[in-house]
Amino acid sequence: MNKELEHSFVKQLEENQNIVHKICRLYTHDSDSHNDLFQEITIQLWRAFPKFRGDSKFSTWMYRVSLNTAITLYRKSKRKIQTQDFESISFKIKSEEYDDTIEQQLKLMYGAVKKLNDIDKALVFLYLEDKSYREISDTLGITEVNARVKMNRAKEKLRKILNP
Amino acid sequence: MDNLDILKKEWQSKEQELPKVSYNDIYKMLLKKSSSIVKWIFVISVAELLFWIGIQFLNPESNIKIINEMGLKEILAYTNIVHFSIFAVFIFYFYKNFKSIQVTDNTKMLMNNILKTRRTVKYFVYYNVGVFIISSIVVDIFFYTRSEQLYEIMDFASQGIPPESFASVFIISQIVVGVIVLGLLILFYWLIYGLLLRRLNRNYKELEKMED
Repeated sequence: MNKELEHSFVKQLEENQNIVHKICRLYTHDSDSHNDLFQEITIQLWRAFPKFRGDSKFSTWMYRVSLNTAITLYRKSKRKIQTQDFESISFKIKSEEYDDTIEQQLKLMYGAVKKLNDIDKALVFLYLEDKSYREISDTLGITEVNARVKMNRAKEKLRKILNP
Repeated sequence: MDNLDILKKEWQSKEQELPKVSYNDIYKMLLKKSSSIVKWIFVISVAELLFWIGIQFLNPESNIKIINEMGLKEILAYTNIVHFSIFAVFIFYFYKNFKSIQVTDNTKMLMNNILKTRRTVKYFVYYNVGVFIISSIVVDIFFYTRSEQLYEIMDFASQGIPPESFASVFIISQIVVGVIVLGLLILFYWLIYGLLLRRLNRNYKELEKMED
């Protein structure tokens, strides 16, 4: 594999790594698993990179490969899940900037999203990333109508988790 | 605005709080080996193919002698040609299905291709188990009807086994071995499907359910 290709890939991934981190945060529960999944996604992206034609944006292509790795290819680590969860790290919102109630609400909401099944989590993730239903259906391989129906059901599930 | 929309707004403004992996660390990751389930499925499937192919050649000398003396040599040679041709077809489909697994496909197609690859190997094992059961029954009936000839060839007289109980001892031992082999296979599959593919099957069913 030539150096130019490696450089181009690493540079683009470095610039777009937030996408991968957000997926890792949703699908893992501790920092070791987060790092494991990040590494596996990097390997899968790198393997698929020679076939990346540039028809779509690098970031768009990344969503598909990264989600596929998280949902389908990644073997969850058998390591003991630590109690320190990402949601408690990622939503340490500064009190002077945000209302306490919103902070609390977001924490609960984020915790609820993590309780969804793998597919619903992917739907919600793509929705949070502001992807259109067309893109969501293309990524998951379902029809646009079903993506909408499923999204509404996922929202309903979230409501039930939050208000049992 | 519902809760998810509040989270959406927050989600997009929180990017700066995510971890950062350096250029050099990403570069190092390219050299690491994948531990994806596709790799494990490939390793296990190839091991299964080799196991069932290898087992065909593990015929002890004494068995070959019995087969020859019972007049089964020719029939066995013909069935082996058919048997190995079927093996070749299975290996071709396994290779074809495995090559079709692309992480760049949509999620449903990727899952479908992985499950299709596993199914090829599953049918290969079913085929082998089926052949094992059917050939055991046919051979046992054949041997049972010619138990006197078999008794002489296997020289059971020198081992102190009386001719009248030989046939039943032979059949019972064949059945016991068959049941043990089947039990081990079921355990093996329960482990593979239970541990490796449970999550994939569950997620695939979830996607399938949406299309109903």
